[in-house]
Amino acid sequence: MSRTEIIAQIVGILEDVAEISPDEVTEDSVLMDDLDLSSMEILTIVADLEETFGIRIPEKELRSFVTISDLADYLSARVG
Amino acid sequence: MTETLTRYSEFLPQGAMYFYREKNIYCRYQYALKDPVDPALLQQAVDAALDAADYFKMKLVREKRDVYLVENDQPFTVSLGSQLKAMPEETGGYLFNVSCEGDTVYFDWFHFLADGHGVSRFLTRILMEYCNRRYGAGFDCPPLPSALAYDMDALVALDPTAGQERLPEIEPVQPEAGQLCRSMVRLDKQSLVDAALACGVKPVSALLGLLSLAMQPLVGRERVEYCYSTDTRRTLKVPDAFYNCVASFRYGVDAGPKVRLADIVPAIDADLKASLVPSTQLGQMAKMMNWVVRVDALKAPLKIKRRVFSMGEAMGNFPADFWISYLGDPLDPDRRYPAALLDYIRDFEVWVPPDGASVGYEVASLHGQLILCIQDKLGRAGLTEAIRAVCEREGVKVLSTAQMGPALPYQE
Repeated sequence: MSRTEIIAQIVGILEDVAEISPDEVTEDSVLMDDLDLSSMEILTIVADLEETFGIRIPEKELRSFVTISDLADYLSARVG
Repeated sequence: MTETLTRYSEFLPQGAMYFYREKNIYCRYQYALKDPVDPALLQQAVDAALDAADYFKMKLVREKRDVYLVENDQPFTVSLGSQLKAMPEETGGYLFNVSCEGDTVYFDWFHFLADGHGVSRFLTRILMEYCNRRYGAGFDCPPLPSALAYDMDALVALDPTAGQERLPEIEPVQPEAGQLCRSMVRLDKQSLVDAALACGVKPVSALLGLLSLAMQPLVGRERVEYCYSTDTRRTLKVPDAFYNCVASFRYGVDAGPKVRLADIVPAIDADLKASLVPSTQLGQMAKMMNWVVRVDALKAPLKIKRRVFSMGEAMGNFPADFWISYLGDPLDPDRRYPAALLDYIRDFEVWVPPDGASVGYEVASLHGQLILCIQDKLGRAGLTEAIRAVCEREGVKVLSTAQMGPALPYQE
């Protein structure tokens, strides 16, 4: 799967979980500050991504997901 | 709509956290009596105990978009054998099971229903009813009081972390993933009490120190992390609660190869005593329950909710090297039962899988022994002998050690 497709999946899940319009999201968007996501929403997005990509993301990785790009980098390395 | 425990606030406020665990946690208490158990009399005893404790006449109903609890109007049937069954699927909808084999009565329950403290009054009542029928013991058996649910909103309002949306700055412990194995260690209780007194600490603090020292070479680092729960019934003013009612804490200790019990146990004891302060208990329990409530409110499939709950527990710093549950008296930690009942109980074991830890210690006190029922995922031998070596070095008498084989079905 290409990085562009991975980002499209992330943006779709963001819209489902937090009702954030795809227009508001860029690769540099900071999850908590720019997108105003709560910790609960971030965990839900991660759980949805695990389901979507059929992987398990270790909890120790969670703090490294600051931006959309961080998530995309991690997923690209695992499923890209 | 998604699956939610629509009535949990009414019946099982804290049990919901076991509904959101990725694996059902089934617990087993087993009592060896002085004679072979008569199944027919045990059936009568269970029927009588259920009449005295309506709380346990519940069944879990799962519908397409809903999960809830209702009264179970079907009779409960005692089974023969020692097999642990899936609850409620193999137990007529009941969230507990009673069976017998030889001289032993097996009590199993889904942790969703109750914690060990809560369930013990019910199980002890079954034993009293049984002894009345089998031996004419003459124990008085009035209805068992059952506390109503505590005020969840009032509790959650005490969460000291409410509104803190940042993910915590922690490095979660990753529990090991070896095949779960069972073992047992029996300690002379008086020698542990003496060792504790010599250090000026509680016996349970001394035990925590001994287990930390024994575990250190096996976890491969100096710092050993452990978790335990403290009972909050009295703090919440619900002493007769059957339901789960605990605040859980995690602490750690540096237990390198040259460290002795006296070096570390004062700090362990200080942490333990701090965790027993009512305001600390309430704050911690509020934090735990706030997370349960938030997960419950998520509009997501149950599978997602369970994963979110699990990640939240990890980020809340709960996974540890070992978990210890110090039951104390397995008949009732508050000792609200006739002392003569002990004459009929020969031995006790308790088996609970370590949830969120590499090793789980369930510790009970009976007939002058501390009985440690151990389940570990370390995947390497030597834990019981490490405990023996540390205990003997610190003057605590080890009565026996035993390897019990793999975990019970449904506890793997």
